Amino acid sequence: MSAIIPETRASRMAHLKQRISNISLNFYGILGYLFLYTPIVIVVIFSFNDSRSTAQWAGFTTHWYVDMITDSQIIISLWNSLFVAIVSTIISTIIGTLAAMGMERYRFRGQLGMDALLYLPVIIPDIAMAIMLLLFFNLSGIGFEVWNVNIFGINLAVPYSVIIGHVAFNIAFVAIVVRARLSQMDRTLEEAAQDLYANTWETFRKVTLPMMMPGILGGALLAFTLSLDDFAITFFTSGAGFNTLPVRVFGMIKKGVTPKINAISTLMLAMSLILISFSLISRKRGGEDQSIEMF
Amino acid sequence: MIDGFAVELRQVVKKFGQVTAVDKVDLQIRDGEFFSMLGPSGCGKTTSLRMIAGFEMPTSGQVFIGGEPQGYLPPYQRPVNTVFQHYALFPHMSVYQNIAFGMEMQKVDKNEIQQRVGETLEMVHLSGMDNRRPKQLSGGQQQRVALARALVNRPKVLLLDEPLGALDLKLRKAMQVELKILQDQVGITFIYVTHDQEEALAMSDRIAVMNQGKVHQLGTPEEIYEAPANRFVADFIGESNFVPGVMQKMGPPAEISVTGTEQPIAVEWLEDGINAGDAVVVSVRPEKIRIHPMGQAPTYPAMCRLSGQVEKVIYLGTDTRYLVRLNEESAVVVRLQNIISGGGHFNEGEKVDIRWDSAHARVFKE
Ligand SMILES: Nc1ncnc2c1ncn2[C@@H]1O[C@H](COP(=O)(O)OP(=O)(O)OP(=O)(O)O)[C@@H](O)[C@H]1O
Ligand SMILES: [Mg+2]
Repeated sequence: MSAIIPETRASRMAHLKQRISNISLNFYGILGYLFLYTPIVIVVIFSFNDSRSTAQWAGFTTHWYVDMITDSQIIISLWNSLFVAIVSTIISTIIGTLAAMGMERYRFRGQLGMDALLYLPVIIPDIAMAIMLLLFFNLSGIGFEVWNVNIFGINLAVPYSVIIGHVAFNIAFVAIVVRARLSQMDRTLEEAAQDLYANTWETFRKVTLPMMMPGILGGALLAFTLSLDDFAITFFTSGAGFNTLPVRVFGMIKKGVTPKINAISTLMLAMSLILISFSLISRKRGGEDQSIEMF
Repeated sequence: MIDGFAVELRQVVKKFGQVTAVDKVDLQIRDGEFFSMLGPSGCGKTTSLRMIAGFEMPTSGQVFIGGEPQGYLPPYQRPVNTVFQHYALFPHMSVYQNIAFGMEMQKVDKNEIQQRVGETLEMVHLSGMDNRRPKQLSGGQQQRVALARALVNRPKVLLLDEPLGALDLKLRKAMQVELKILQDQVGITFIYVTHDQEEALAMSDRIAVMNQGKVHQLGTPEEIYEAPANRFVADFIGESNFVPGVMQKMGPPAEISVTGTEQPIAVEWLEDGINAGDAVVVSVRPEKIRIHPMGQAPTYPAMCRLSGQVEKVIYLGTDTRYLVRLNEESAVVVRLQNIISGGGHFNEGEKVDIRWDSAHARVFKE
């Protein structure tokens, strides 16, 4: 009997320790979330604050949102943001996917160097990238032409330099995500397709591409988000008079933080949330499918 | 078909950089045959199969399918289909889509596709699983889908690379039987790669035993078991005793003096290239040897007899294994069937005579 008691006591102690550590883990977890989300919650709340002051609550209003959507400058910059994001996402997804396939599928001289070069835009600070691009456009003189588009009656004038700049940094992110996906793909699947009379193109279309799709979508979503989010590169490469939403907000903030900026921030937050839910849903739906689960 | 062979390899060599994976292999695989390539890991089985399928191109030599030289034809232009070791089912397609894939690529009529997929599913006992995803199937079921996906195309030749390798033993045995029955049914030539000799012996019409890129012997299961061509084959297939000795007399009758004994023994079959005075090994299967109490072995002509002492007795249910030590250097394993219950006819430490018919011994280079 006596031999058993210390054991139970020991196991009880272990149990207790486990619980304490669980509780403290939860505590730190909650602290972490508080730290992350308190500022966001404050921004959202104060976007509904019926006062010019951003320090004191003075009742609920949607006034700032009305203000926001009737400000044609903001609307134009929002469309600019979306237009740049969509165009640069499409281009960088195609180029990034091809780059990923090239790097993953072929062995060639200087591959390590190419790898490093591809990852460079991910590692170097935005500001450095922005300055490099600015220098490039200045020296080469290309890119400052403007793409005139009309969306729902709103005229946009988007400099090619901004789109090129966004494509330049997005390619790297797309390539990395797609490549991760490709490296996990079983090559014998492609052999199986070829064995079943699919030629090179059919193999790509029927097997490789569908298998890569989660990676491509993930990469595109990442590119879209980064592009919407970008400030430095747009700011440096756009020249005067062209604003995306973040650049516009930066301009407004110089005159002081107003609840209208809170409203814009809330709008951007909402857009991010929608994008995140998209990616979560697409992952979940893919859950039945081993190919997508690996992503 | 010009020469009547389903597949033929002529002087095929495959090098990967410095490694010679397949070394001047000649094979002629007959129409409708269940042909196995058997050998230890890395001997070049998969590489040979991949060259037939068109996934690898020979460094030199030629592969013929149905008498036609394949040259550098890509896999999708060869009339063969493959069952991959890990099945390689398309995870983003249903069972039906997987099986229909080959026919769709060949632009087979929709109705015919539907009919053939149905028939093939029935053949592999998977009817009603059309809409499942590969991930929703067990290993054995996935195996059947892989088989169906290949067979449905009615290829001239089916290539199988260790198709049962990922299954547990029991399922493996069941699938062996099923595969064999299926092959009889469809009458397609099967080329089957395995490193499991029992599997190869049980299923094949003929077996090519390979090692280090070379074919060491090609024959029926009985031929390669009963009459191994060299020491590697004797060692790799089943169990063999190797008793060292020296070639005394080339004969006939040829004679060998077993190391550590005085009396020479007679042998009938010698590997090519053995000369008098060479060091050799006499190879005898454990079940071909008889044991007698010392001095009681009967003497016939063509009977080889050696004396020794029982060192170890292992009772194995259907039979008993005796390790009989002949001298310092050599011992032989003898296997006796337990026809009469009780097993232990001889005890450890007992002095015994062993004998075998000289027709059952094969002499290989040391
Ligand atoms: N793509 C390749 N590149 C370099 N070497 C290779 C390649 N494929 C095979 N080899 C080498 O060729 C030899 C034969 O390989 P192979 O895969 O044909 O063996 P195997 O008989 O199928 O073996 P296992 O039973 O292990 O599957 C091995 O030494 C292997 O390392
Ligand atoms: Mg292999």
